[in-house]
Amino acid sequence: MNPIPALKFVSRVAIQNILRNRGIAVASVLTITLTLLGAGVAVVVVHALDGVLHTEESQASVLKVFMADHVAFASEVNLEQNLGSSASVARTTFENKDQAAQQAGSSLGLTQAINLLERSGAGNPLPASINFQLRNIKAVSQLNREVRTSALLDSGPHPTDYNADVIPRLERYIFVAQLGGGLVVGVVGAVALVIITISVRTAAYVRRREIEIMKLVGATDWFVRWPFVLEGVIVGVISALVASLILLGVGFGFGGGQGLALGVGARFALLTVLALVVAGGALGSVGSFVGVRRSLAT
Amino acid sequence: MSISTSPPAPVVMTGARSGDLARSEPPIIVFEKVTKIYANGQAAIRDASFTVRPRDFVFVVGASGAGKSTVIRLLIREERATEGHVLVEGQDLARLKHRHLPRLRRKMGIVFQDFKLLPSLTVEQNVAFAIQVTDPGRPHLKEKVGEALYIVGLEDKLNAYPTELSGGEQQRVAIARALVHRPRIFLADEPTGNLDPDAGWGIVQLLQQINHRGATVVMATHNREVVDLCRRRVLAIEDGRIVRDEAEGAYLRDGDAIL
Repeated sequence: MNPIPALKFVSRVAIQNILRNRGIAVASVLTITLTLLGAGVAVVVVHALDGVLHTEESQASVLKVFMADHVAFASEVNLEQNLGSSASVARTTFENKDQAAQQAGSSLGLTQAINLLERSGAGNPLPASINFQLRNIKAVSQLNREVRTSALLDSGPHPTDYNADVIPRLERYIFVAQLGGGLVVGVVGAVALVIITISVRTAAYVRRREIEIMKLVGATDWFVRWPFVLEGVIVGVISALVASLILLGVGFGFGGGQGLALGVGARFALLTVLALVVAGGALGSVGSFVGVRRSLAT
Repeated sequence: MSISTSPPAPVVMTGARSGDLARSEPPIIVFEKVTKIYANGQAAIRDASFTVRPRDFVFVVGASGAGKSTVIRLLIREERATEGHVLVEGQDLARLKHRHLPRLRRKMGIVFQDFKLLPSLTVEQNVAFAIQVTDPGRPHLKEKVGEALYIVGLEDKLNAYPTELSGGEQQRVAIARALVHRPRIFLADEPTGNLDPDAGWGIVQLLQQINHRGATVVMATHNREVVDLCRRRVLAIEDGRIVRDEAEGAYLRDGDAIL
């Protein structure tokens, strides 16, 4: 069989079918648009939530190591370089006693107290510290255990500091957000698949005589199936484009002229649209394949 | 009933008539101890054996529910034999893979009582449909469709829709559609069932012309008059069994009650 005329014929039949059964086609597009819209919203919300959680995570992934006052500068640098060379450490920053005093003054409002102590001759009570920014929040407690064995640390009750209680909570939030988003996308995808299958099954029922004749005159199963599959792909892609337009419209609307809402970037928006189009096309083809199978049974 | 009994209109002969030549060739259709039992337990065909030679014209007769249509359905492999073998051109249909079914059906022309035309397509489009769905790139599509419609005498109805045609004309369109693949075997399941006697006789004449052109014709019917007028081979089925096989038979055996 020559593929070009076959493709032309299949495309023509698919478009004719959509136009002829436009009631079913429009209903399918609307329902699939709604389901894909649900999936799109879930993806965007999970992405935004993920962004927030990752910001929180990066802030919580800092291990502050307080140095003892007597430690030589070279030893501090050595400790910083030794631990900083670990793959789990993204970067390190050193904070000397003056910087610590400034930081405490500005963020905790302790300027007067610190000045008073310095004037009384007691000196700056705040220790120097090394801040380890880790790539993964789970690595913080491990590094904490390692660093605590060093004799260079402050001898006080808290030689290191990190948000120990925040970490498991953040891990739980991230897991729940990803699981929830995945479930929503999965359920919505399954619903879209069922809708397409039912609509193609209905279309196949409406066109059962045509299918019967095609088979009687010797059309192959694939030739019978292709127009339906193409029809499903067209309906799926149109639904995905409509859902994408709505998502982008709402995103820009809530963005207040500052781009898309929820901090969604152009790259992610484009990827989401592409993913929806691919998902719509895939759902359409799979749904049609399944939907028309019964008609080809004999 | 008043039907014209004039012989078939003259046509261009492209095949030999049934006769001595056919006798020397292997059968084109073989039923070998075939039994068909449907899922509901009903036995439609019981232990049926017969052969059909190339270019034969065979009437399969019997009352409604006797099993005539099942014979046709077995031949196009719409149904599979429960027991026994159905062979078409030497191919055992039980062993035929599903993907090779289209090839079998392209060798056959099939018409039914209900015409099976697509109402949204014109006469020309209905006939062209058979080519478009099997070989969409085939050259000279229009000419082939025109030729098929000329054979059935509807060359002036190209743009008519099925609903604008009489029953006889609709059946002729179905026959033209079945002819475009130039089938070696032509199967007709009650093709006159929905037609008045004159239109029915016209269809039988057309099938005889197709047979004259070289195709083997198997026609399932309970139209007694056309069978009696044609005096062709008759296979009679009763309750799924072949009870009679006559070379120039009538619908009923002498002494049989009218069904």
